[in-house]
Parts: sequence; structure tokens; C-alpha cells
Amino acid sequence: MKLRRTRLYVPGNNPHLVENVGLYGADCVILDLEDSVPIEQKFDARILVKYALQNVNFGKSEKWVRINSLDTPFWEKDIHEVLEFVDVINVPKIESYEDLEKLDTLMREIEEKKGIKMRGVVPIIETFRGLVNVRGIAKHPRVVAMAWGGEDLTAELGIPKKKALILDHVRAEIVIAAKSQGKMALDTVYSNIRDEEGLFEYAKRARYMGFDGVGVLHPNQIEIVHRAFRPSDEEIEDACRIVEAAEKAKKGGKGVIALNGRMIDKPVLERAKKILAFAEVD
Amino acid sequence: MIEAGTNEKGDARVRIESGKREIIVMSKLERLYGDAIHKTVEEMTEGIDAKIIVEDQGALDWVIRARIESAIRKYRGEKE
Repeated sequence: MKLRRTRLYVPGNNPHLVENVGLYGADCVILDLEDSVPIEQKFDARILVKYALQNVNFGKSEKWVRINSLDTPFWEKDIHEVLEFVDVINVPKIESYEDLEKLDTLMREIEEKKGIKMRGVVPIIETFRGLVNVRGIAKHPRVVAMAWGGEDLTAELGIPKKKALILDHVRAEIVIAAKSQGKMALDTVYSNIRDEEGLFEYAKRARYMGFDGVGVLHPNQIEIVHRAFRPSDEEIEDACRIVEAAEKAKKGGKGVIALNGRMIDKPVLERAKKILAFAEVD
Repeated sequence: MIEAGTNEKGDARVRIESGKREIIVMSKLERLYGDAIHKTVEEMTEGIDAKIIVEDQGALDWVIRARIESAIRKYRGEKE
């Protein structure tokens, strides 16, 4: 199973920060062309990112690029420049299935022209309109995971993000939408990069909320999040026993899996496999 | 004058100015990498009749190439 516990945001206009991204061990690295790049540097950053994707060693990290939103004059140029070299396109402020269709048309055109395989998309839900349409958005075949951001939502309400109770509902909506389509759900970043304990609790909560990962802003946050997403020893031992029992039943040609007199059905087995994947146990 | 890149650590600033073709490379590591950078600029800007100035702040080869490509494309009229 592919893990996306951490996705490290790196400004796409800063070569010094980009050159070592593969050393940190994040599951995904996002070279950002959006918020961290001032308008006057968009052109240079787009070309720099194209070169980085081809020359920097990303280690085991999946290569993502966050492009500019579809209401800007930049997104099409971003796609043209980087699509060939990325694994996943991360796109902000997606509000509808039609938004994804617009993106998909251009991506498909380039993929066919270049003869490259279909790239994944991770839309970021950041507005109430996007939230209302989130279940439809998650259905799009391009979507490999759903992400969200709270700044615009809370700004629209005029309330501080840290105190916004509504965000728990938003989180639940993202998880439900993603999981109903068998996709991953990714929580937003924990922005206080010095608060290690706070980050650990935040990531732990994200896991129990149903998320598969969180965004990170600093390499130091990666190990903490991976630790928070690691299942407990008890969970791992239980999962090992379930998977072993399933393998034994399969070998013995039995259709029913039993463990200590308890019937193990498909969802329990699936959960056990997922726990072992998070624990990085083969 | 056309410009790409910055003077930040690990980056390079490339300028293209109208005039007779000339390549100027300024690098902190000129003794070590001056010739290699010069060769890269020469190869990537072939046919451009202008003054090309590269100020290197310890950039890797791919960074210099990216900045040169940016500058050339702006010089040829690409925008945004």
C-alpha cells in the first residue's frame, strides 16, 4: 500500500531548499508554485521546478507539484511545464467536478501527446462551494486523495482558524467523501513548526479521524507525524494474528477465517492489512 | 534588460542585455566552476546576439540551466 502520511511543502522558487528534498524521508514532496511564490517569480519558479523534478534525487518520496488555482492565468502553463515529470498534481481551490474536468482535459491532451501514463490529482477543498460538492469531486477518476485547507473557509466566516469548531465537520466531510470512493483523505498542516508535542497530538487525532496523512511545513515534522501514524504495539500484534490466520485459511482452502473462535470478515482483514502498512510491516 | 533567478544562496541570476554577444560569468567558485558555467551558458545561448551575465551564488548545474532557460524564454517574448 502506498503511504502518504506526510507531504512536505517546499517553495518552488528556492533552489537551496529544493536540492535536498529527497533526504528527509517524507512520503510525498510538494514543490509549490502557488502561495509560496510571489507573482513576479511565477515564471522562473515554474521552469526551476521542471528542472528540479528531473535532476533532484527525491529518494522514496512521491513527486507532487502544487499548481496555481484554476481562476489564475498560471495553471495551464504550470501543467504544460511540469506534468511530464510529476507523479501527482495538487490543485488548490477546487469547487466542483466540472473544475476537475477542465483540468483533466488539458492533462489528457498532454499525456496523449507525450505518451505518458495518467497522472493523479489531489484537489484541495478550501471554500464552502467546494465543500458542498465534495462528494462529487471525490468521484472523479483522476482523484487519488482529497485534501483541504481552512484559511479561506474561516476567513469567510470571520472567525480565527484555531477556534473554528466547524472545521471538525469539514474534516469529517473530507474523510467521508474520500473513503466513499476508496480514495485517501489528507489533513491540512500543523503550522506551529516548533510545537512538537502539539504536532504529535494533532497527527494522532488526524489518524483517528480517518485521515491517511497530514501536510508538513518543515522536515523536522516528518518523523513526528510518522510516529503518530504508527499503530500501537497492541494494534500491530492483533493485525499480525489476523493476517496470519487469513493466510493459513487460504492455504487450507477454507473460505472462512477464524481466530480464537472469532470469525474474521473482510473489513476486519482489510483494517489489519492497513494497520500493518502504517506500521511498515511486510 | 531581461533577468531571471536571484542572488540568494544556491541560486544564480542571469541577465540578458542588448548589445554585442558577450558572456560574463561571476561566481564565488569561479576557479573551480567558472569554465563549466561558461560552457553551459555558451551552449544554451548559442545564436543569441546579446550580452549575457551570470552571477552565481553556488548554484548547482541544473539551477543555472533553469535560470538560463527562463532568461532566454523571457528574452524571446514569453510572459507570466
